[in-house]
Amino acid sequence: MAFLLGDGVINLTPAEAKTRKIPFRSLDQKQVSTLDFLSDAIVPGAKSAGLSHFIDHQLSAPHEDNLLILRYLRINPPFKDFYTSALKAFEISVRLKYNKPPLDLSEAEISEFISIMRQKKPIGWPEFIEEPKQEVPPAPFFYFVLRSDAIDVTYGTVNSFDNMDIPYMAHIEPAHPWESPS
Amino acid sequence: MTNHIDKTDVIIVGSGAAGSLMAAKLSEAGKKVTILEAGPERRLEDLTSSQIHARRLKWGGDPVEENGKQPIGNVFNSGYGTGGSALHHYAVWPRLHGEDFKVKSLYNRAFDWPIDYDDIRPYYDRIQQEVGISGDHTAEIWRPEGDAYPLPPVPAFQQSEVIARGFAKLGKQTSPLPLAVNSRDYQGRPACLWDGWCDAGCPTRALASPLAHYLPKAIKQDVNIIHNAAAARILTDKSGKKAIGVKYHDKDGAEIILMADMVVLAAYAIQNPRLLLNSADGGLANRSGLVGAYIMSHAAALVYGLFDQETAPYMGATGGQMLNQDSYDHKDQRTQGFGSFQWMIAQAVKPNDLLGYGGSNPGLYGAKLTEFMARAAHHFGTMTACVEDLPLPENRVSLSSNKDRFGIPLAHAHHTSHADSYALWRGAKQEGIEIFKAAGATEFWNGPLGPMHIMGGTIMGDTAENSVTNSYGQCHDIDNLFIAGPGLFPTSGGVNPTFTVHALTLRSSEYILNNWSGVIS
Ligand SMILES: Cc1cc2nc3c(=O)[nH]c(=O)nc-3n(C[C@H](O)[C@H](O)[C@H](O)COP(=O)(O)OP(=O)(O)OC[C@H]3O[C@@H](n4cnc5c(N)ncnc54)[C@H](O)[C@@H]3O)c2cc1C
Ligand code: SF4
Repeated sequence: MAFLLGDGVINLTPAEAKTRKIPFRSLDQKQVSTLDFLSDAIVPGAKSAGLSHFIDHQLSAPHEDNLLILRYLRINPPFKDFYTSALKAFEISVRLKYNKPPLDLSEAEISEFISIMRQKKPIGWPEFIEEPKQEVPPAPFFYFVLRSDAIDVTYGTVNSFDNMDIPYMAHIEPAHPWESPS
Repeated sequence: MTNHIDKTDVIIVGSGAAGSLMAAKLSEAGKKVTILEAGPERRLEDLTSSQIHARRLKWGGDPVEENGKQPIGNVFNSGYGTGGSALHHYAVWPRLHGEDFKVKSLYNRAFDWPIDYDDIRPYYDRIQQEVGISGDHTAEIWRPEGDAYPLPPVPAFQQSEVIARGFAKLGKQTSPLPLAVNSRDYQGRPACLWDGWCDAGCPTRALASPLAHYLPKAIKQDVNIIHNAAAARILTDKSGKKAIGVKYHDKDGAEIILMADMVVLAAYAIQNPRLLLNSADGGLANRSGLVGAYIMSHAAALVYGLFDQETAPYMGATGGQMLNQDSYDHKDQRTQGFGSFQWMIAQAVKPNDLLGYGGSNPGLYGAKLTEFMARAAHHFGTMTACVEDLPLPENRVSLSSNKDRFGIPLAHAHHTSHADSYALWRGAKQEGIEIFKAAGATEFWNGPLGPMHIMGGTIMGDTAENSVTNSYGQCHDIDNLFIAGPGLFPTSGGVNPTFTVHALTLRSSEYILNNWSGVIS
């Protein structure tokens, strides 16, 4: 994927982008921390695989070239509100249930919360959030999408095939695991 | 401002399976052909082996609004750009059976096709020779009459061997899966390497996508493919009975008119009706009122399991390795529901994406998911039933009140499975679990109903009262307007549609050439 660095554009994997602290284009720092925390609890390894950079980068890609699984799932672009509203809903709902911010949840607490959100609406998960007013995706759907994104970056790459001891056998190898020429 | 450009003999809208074959045949016979393709140009060297990259090949044109209980899944089921959906299709190419053409007369349900198996059989035989299908016609005991496949069958890797044992234990038969994938070098195209990257598009040309087979033939005849050219309207003369050209928009939004003696719509089953409906008040070629009606999608019954044995799920083609059609003929003799289905056994599977094993069991997360992924990488098995979808008039494409940037109404697609098709899908799922148990799976489960392939919407038939076109795809109302593709199917059968699309398109192309002056006059 092409990341902006200073005046230039460089090709990096999301994991490299994370290590090099490439600035985010669409998400703010709080959204990134929340996304990392939740996705890593769903798919261990997603944070270091650079999930936030992957999503952030794709949120500003033209629809035709978009690589997010969301494009299959009958959600029309732009996709940013889908993620940001759900992250906000996650925070509201966690605070209501545990009386603390998401990042302070213990391993057992986040696991308990995920087991609820994957099946039904957790208490306090709003249908809309205000300012600006945005529709919030249902919690089980958001779980499904985020889990799929996280599996993409954690397991869908040349390196991850190596780690799982399965051959990649590319005809045309991605220059970087999911580099997009855009 | 509208720009007029030259006149051509034939405009083909869409460069996918049907459009590329039609273009090759008409141009080889000396016709001047222009293809309008809504999506971008794609080349073989763009087909990066990655399930993440593969998504770029999906539909990226105007959004399709979907509703109904089993929505049609347009983005997953359609491609965009050179080669259309067929560029990343899996090339499972079985034939329809005799019964599929006679559902009304045999069972008093749905429709008969205006042709029967004997009419289409020679075209199946010729296409398989021309394109190359790997298979074993004797092991495929269910297959209707036809020539032997020109290529030896695809190899069976561990996954299919393990699953085939379950079929055998239950007294069921398996055969190699007929694939339009070269098991050895054929027609100047190389043999497959069985690496499972077909969903990302096969850059070696082992798989018979339009970019591998018919488009190069068309291009050799100087067929002009205009990319990023989204057809907006079919133009007719004052009488409304003759097509005279197509209006399209280029990437920059400029409106362009191209004139032609004949127009062929090959923009797949959702965009063809959208174009017709947008081309005249009440829809063009719509005396029947059936433009858009009877869209169908096979219900995929997904079965997953883990086995103690190594299954090497990464080996093979994405379409699978083996076939079973024990539940095909005698559509009224299923344990539940009505219709036909077939099992496609042992798809090559990657870890990620909707069809990857990571997505197969969405309830797993955290440490359990990590454990599952490690085991699945070597012990996962899967098969998919392709389940017939009975046509219903309310399952249809209509125009939305929402519009694209040029003011053209978006397509709205409603689809809810017929109750008997849904029951058939439930029965297939259960049968799949029994087979996996018999094969010794230590864990087994089903996925949700997935819509697979899109058919109908511009169905063929005998009269202008009961259909949009005749058996050649020629519109009843407009002699020089043809439709090609699975949109013509009056019933879906329980097999993948693209071999039949090729056979029908070859038949239509010859009809057009044999009747050229009559058709365009
Ligand atoms: C993932 C996947 C796997 C599949 N696997 C199989 C399989 O194993 N076996 C099988 O038989 N079938 C399979 N199919 C189905 C197969 O791809 C279709 O049946 C076949 O491609 C239909 O051919 P077509 O020419 O009608 O449409 P397409 O091949 O889709 O071509 C239509 C073209 O028209 C273009 N277009 C649309 N609107 C416009 C417009 N307004 N102006 C200009 N151009 C336009 C599109 O961009 C597209 O390029 C699969 C499909 C998918 C998506
Ligand atoms: S498995 Fe065969 S058909 Fe599929 S992409 Fe590889 S070479 Fe092509």
